[in-house]
Amino acid sequence: MRCGVLLAAGALVLMTACGAAPTTSGAPGVAKRGDRLTIGTTADVANLNPLVGNSRTDSWVTNLMYPHLMQMDAAGRRIPYLATDWAYAKDGRSATVRLRDDLTWSDGRPVTADDVVFSVNAVRKERFGVVAGLVTALDEARALSPTSLSFTFTRPDGTFLDNVGFWLPIVPKHVFEKAPSVQRFANDAAWVSAGPYRLTRVERGQRYVMERVESFGPGRPAVKEVVFRVYPDVNTQVLALRNGEIDLIANALPPATALALKGDPEISLVEVPSLGWAHLQYNTRREPLDDVRVRRALAHAVDYPAIREIALKGLASSARSSVLTPTQPDYADPGVHEYAHDPARARELLREAGVSGLSLDLIYDHADPKIARWAPMVRDSARKAGVTITLRGLERNTYMDRTHRRDFDVYAGSWAIMDNPPANLALAFRTGGFLNYAQVSDPALDRLIDQGGRALTREQARAPIRRAARIIHEQVYDNVLYVETLTVAHSARWTGFKPMPSELLSIVNPLSLAAVKPVS
Amino acid sequence: MRFIVVRLLRGLLTLWFAVTVTFFLVRLLPGDPVLAVADPGMTEELRAKLLADLGLDRPLGAQYADYLNRLLHGDLGVSFRQSVPVTTVLMERLPWTLLLAGSALLVTVGLGVPLGVLAATRARSLTDRVIQASGVTAQSLFVPSVGIFLLVVFGANLGWFPIGGAVDLDATGPAAWLSALHHLVLPCLTLALVQLGGYVLTMRATLVDALGADYVSLARAKGVRPRAVVWRHALRNALPPTAALAGLQLGTLVGGAVLTETIYAYPGVGRAVYEAVGRLDFPVLQGAFVLLAATVVVAGLLTDLACGLLDPRMRAS
Repeated sequence: MRCGVLLAAGALVLMTACGAAPTTSGAPGVAKRGDRLTIGTTADVANLNPLVGNSRTDSWVTNLMYPHLMQMDAAGRRIPYLATDWAYAKDGRSATVRLRDDLTWSDGRPVTADDVVFSVNAVRKERFGVVAGLVTALDEARALSPTSLSFTFTRPDGTFLDNVGFWLPIVPKHVFEKAPSVQRFANDAAWVSAGPYRLTRVERGQRYVMERVESFGPGRPAVKEVVFRVYPDVNTQVLALRNGEIDLIANALPPATALALKGDPEISLVEVPSLGWAHLQYNTRREPLDDVRVRRALAHAVDYPAIREIALKGLASSARSSVLTPTQPDYADPGVHEYAHDPARARELLREAGVSGLSLDLIYDHADPKIARWAPMVRDSARKAGVTITLRGLERNTYMDRTHRRDFDVYAGSWAIMDNPPANLALAFRTGGFLNYAQVSDPALDRLIDQGGRALTREQARAPIRRAARIIHEQVYDNVLYVETLTVAHSARWTGFKPMPSELLSIVNPLSLAAVKPVS
Repeated sequence: MRFIVVRLLRGLLTLWFAVTVTFFLVRLLPGDPVLAVADPGMTEELRAKLLADLGLDRPLGAQYADYLNRLLHGDLGVSFRQSVPVTTVLMERLPWTLLLAGSALLVTVGLGVPLGVLAATRARSLTDRVIQASGVTAQSLFVPSVGIFLLVVFGANLGWFPIGGAVDLDATGPAAWLSALHHLVLPCLTLALVQLGGYVLTMRATLVDALGADYVSLARAKGVRPRAVVWRHALRNALPPTAALAGLQLGTLVGGAVLTETIYAYPGVGRAVYEAVGRLDFPVLQGAFVLLAATVVVAGLLTDLACGLLDPRMRAS
């Protein structure tokens, strides 16, 4: 009893001392309905430095604070944001970008080409975050005027602008350059931002409060205040949505939850196509998986429609066993067909390869509810083809560790976002690519991927990239199972969301949140 | 005095042990903490630089000595992932965990002791059987199932309590404190319910024994009122095991708080630990474990002192 009193009393004293006390001095009054949009997320922001933070919540919050050169439309094409237009030189060794002139940082300074150059150079110099791996061809970034800049490359690189334009947040040079290391800069207070919303309050473990920027260049957001509320448990999040404590759930719903919410008149469901895919990869450096006949046998041993209908509850579509999925209409290849589930053909191929009693380990992240559902289906259907698969559901860090060490027979996983096929194929299938988990090394494939990477337009890239994808399909360097249809839920009291592909954007992308408004 | 010094030294030894085990344990976690901030395709040279930046390039012994030295100076290090001092990360969260665990302990003991007394004084009656059966049932409860049940019934269906969080965004001044209490009810009740059985059954068993002792018979023979016999004489002797149980269960309480915080979206240290494990944020993990271990050690120390006050024989032993 005394301990309880002491703990509770200690807590109250600490709350006051640490500023965690539940007093909200200077807080606004109760927001009127329609003035505040409350968004549920499953995790806290890990890092408010947008160049470092890479979790979903990090991106959702910092994307509202820091502009990017480009946004993405529903088909994955780049559309203007801070950049108004961009072009490569004919030889592909340089590019120029023009910027809009009506964006200002929250301290009143204009957003200029110097900020863009600083942001690119910071990640290149210190090599951190996702963008570092995308700027390897960059030789120099130079501001030509406050609203124009140029990039020069060591080799022609047609993927550079799409990659940097979409993935690189632009940070204020005059703030970030004061930090000894941009990578170690916490950016945890006094935020200087230039997005449609500015962060005004952080209560870790609870919420992130953002106010609209009245003078936001591309147009004043309709909603005055956006609040991200943290609910680590998805079931609690759904209850909060049903109870009206939050207005939308930013994370894609598990298929079973999405189906359970269907028909609720208070809730609207939005289907968002995924820019990624779920797949199995076979370690091509291990016998007998180095034999294409064995890999094809394994591809025929998977019951793809059953996985989509049962494990994904129908919320997935076929990718025709191709890495160019239907979400990328500019690249998708209608001439490719999905491997048929055919255990007899699988047995025949294994006989041809002289393999019998094949036994393989399959690793997957056991905390991924979707893969945890379909991995046993892969095992069971493989058994019909005479292949024994032992499932190794691993804790996430162990799984990542074994993946990076390429320590597996079969890898089950999914890409969250593969938005730029020429660049993505280079990362995942080119010899030595850092996402080349299957350890593919195929000179013909490398040449086609390089050719696609050098192409300066989608039209030029399409042919070599399609040929590359056909090789990946035929050689089963990747066994694509499905493209998920992501489902996000919001209260029916709101309208005007602009869905974009991938969970990273969905309906919480800056343009969508700037456009959303209450139902009148 | 010797009693206090011995307990204090024992507490410090426990704390050192917890710090040491935690330090080496987090380094056994699979995965590469550098990947949290760097490009997975980084060169070996860059990886070496990042490891040096994070202080992970030196021999484990040197890292350990450095960590102990900094710990003695109150420095828990800087979060790998958030780039802010660990103390800042934890101090934002610790008060909420203490509030939750402390209030749960208050409620548990506040309900457990009287129910145990009631069962003991009506031993073998229907009331006793009902209380015992409820106590056994409560012991088999699990935080997530109780949490979701209370949340669905009292939060979603009846709408009496909020679904998650610790305080309303718009509440200010006294309303904010009331809001904090409002948010605390369900998480506190969840933790209290899963702990209650142990207290009720322990209290009942020890009090039944005490009520059969000679000194109680003597007190009754001397005409002391039955209520005074129970509350003044028997209970005092029956309390030390329950007080010891409170000390022992503090660890469980803090562990239960981790799950409770997750279900109720409560912003405590448990959630910070959960997130730090996923991100391989060693400094936050170490700091959180040290802080929680220190809390449990201090509370255990206070329990020992309380037991010593209640029962002079313990001081002598």
